[in-house]
Amino acid sequence: MRNTEKEVRRMPEILQYTYMQRALFVGLLLSVIVACLGTVMVHKRLSLIGDALSHSSLAGVALGLLMGFNPIVGAMSVCIIAAFSIEVIRKKLGNHSELAVAIVMSTGIGLAGVMSGFVKSSADFNSFLFGSIVAISSFEARLVMILSVIVLLAFILLYKELFYISFDEQAASISGVPVGTVNAIFTILTAVTVSIAARTVGALIVSSLLVVPVAAAMSIARSYRTTVLWAAFVSVCSTIGGLVLSFYLGLKPGGTIVLISVAFFLIFRCIAFFRGRSTSSKGA
Amino acid sequence: MENVIEVTGMSFGYTRDMILEDVDFAVERGDFAVVIGDNGVGKSTMVKLLLGVLRPTKGSISICGKNLTSLRGTGIGYLPQNSGSKASTFPATCEEIVMSGLYKKIGFGRFPGKDHKKKAEEALKMVDMLDKRKSLIGELSGGQQQRVMLARVLAGDPEILILDEPTVGIDAESVDRLLHILHHLNIDKKVTILMVTHDVEKAGPYANRVLCLSEGACREELLPDAKIVHAHAHSHPHGGVEHIHCANCEHGDAHGHDAEHCAECAHCDSSCEHGDHVHHEDKEHAHHAQHGKGGEENA
Repeated sequence: MRNTEKEVRRMPEILQYTYMQRALFVGLLLSVIVACLGTVMVHKRLSLIGDALSHSSLAGVALGLLMGFNPIVGAMSVCIIAAFSIEVIRKKLGNHSELAVAIVMSTGIGLAGVMSGFVKSSADFNSFLFGSIVAISSFEARLVMILSVIVLLAFILLYKELFYISFDEQAASISGVPVGTVNAIFTILTAVTVSIAARTVGALIVSSLLVVPVAAAMSIARSYRTTVLWAAFVSVCSTIGGLVLSFYLGLKPGGTIVLISVAFFLIFRCIAFFRGRSTSSKGA
Repeated sequence: MENVIEVTGMSFGYTRDMILEDVDFAVERGDFAVVIGDNGVGKSTMVKLLLGVLRPTKGSISICGKNLTSLRGTGIGYLPQNSGSKASTFPATCEEIVMSGLYKKIGFGRFPGKDHKKKAEEALKMVDMLDKRKSLIGELSGGQQQRVMLARVLAGDPEILILDEPTVGIDAESVDRLLHILHHLNIDKKVTILMVTHDVEKAGPYANRVLCLSEGACREELLPDAKIVHAHAHSHPHGGVEHIHCANCEHGDAHGHDAEHCAECAHCDSSCEHGDHVHHEDKEHAHHAQHGKGGEENA
């Protein structure tokens, strides 16, 4: 018994609290899957889809709180509907397909705004805006763990299909890739991930985590595979670093995580700039 | 010789106005076919129809004897125009891009093995880009990017290669190099090629079959060894050509048929000097014409 107590005391302070252990574990898992999905999203030129889905998820949260069911279930349902709506509207709009994201995002914000007015406990609703990674329940932690395994497996199994579709959807279709099926799976995975991540890091922040680590990785990566790995690295470092900093400095975890990822982006851009200069001077 | 592409009485229009009307066209195995025509006359539409991306309003298309419903499982490789430029910002190596062309061989949800990697290297070697396999596609010139895209298509061992203006936006030297590779594939690897192009001057001497979608674009002096088929086409609203007539005789509409079969000029074969459309099998002859050899024979 005394040995256990001694061991706990020897641990860093941040790991002595169960809620922080859970937050770090969930943050680690989420950061990896968000980076994987973000890489595909950015290269499919759908960077803003994360924004549209995360904002739409708020409508689901409000619906859940109003109707008395789990807000995460509400967020997931609305996210999936929103994601498929984007695909349908995109196909209908032809040359102006990018408007689909804006239309769905506006609808989501509108619904969330109206419905939030009827929610009695505004604190519950606000916790989804900026997340509450340090207040995750054991149910939510288990949900994230199961989801992470599913998303990671799907990403690994569909890696070459997602690569091909991101690179050239028409050529992929001609080569026999089941583009519709793969896109549908990806849409569902994204919607579910965004709704879970909205609960933990916040709806206003999840879209940044989908895009910024990928943008940072693209600055220095020398292949698609290394882009995924660098994006996951930046995402994990930002999340863990953000949680640690917020714990010791008393900052909001969601915002700290995003700001660290932006710092990574700036550092990587500088590295790319100097590397480019040294390459061109060698060439000269 | 077996027809690998057969277009019969095909019409198509995005609206009620037809862009392509009653097109009859066939490509035999081993052909180097070229589709030419002015801007807006429906060349790229024709490619989309052949790829099954669009469905004809009337008529039929068959690939290797099968009615075209979907290209899945057929041995068609497709190289779109400016395919490289689209990839300029994509952070993938040439090797990764060529590997994606092996999708059909690897299969859904499976991982590539050593054999696939070797196959990708062979395809890169075919287009003389093996030394750039670890380079990012965005770091290459337009011509090099187009060759990598061609390697991706070749990795899948296509029987038929459809190219939509592959020489657009690349320098003259790269155009020559690309056409030389295509010629080599056509002669040595027996790949049937159908290429949409504006560049009749460069591509014409390699072609043994030409589908001409507009009269102005069909400069027959540049197509010495080709069988020419004139198709009935209407221009897009902003295009230049309204109606196509048989260029070889002055008796009106070719209705998309070979001039030999033109109902309006049945006497073509005897009285019209263009009646005899020679179909030269010897494509080396065309190649020599392009490179200044055998010029006297062509003349």
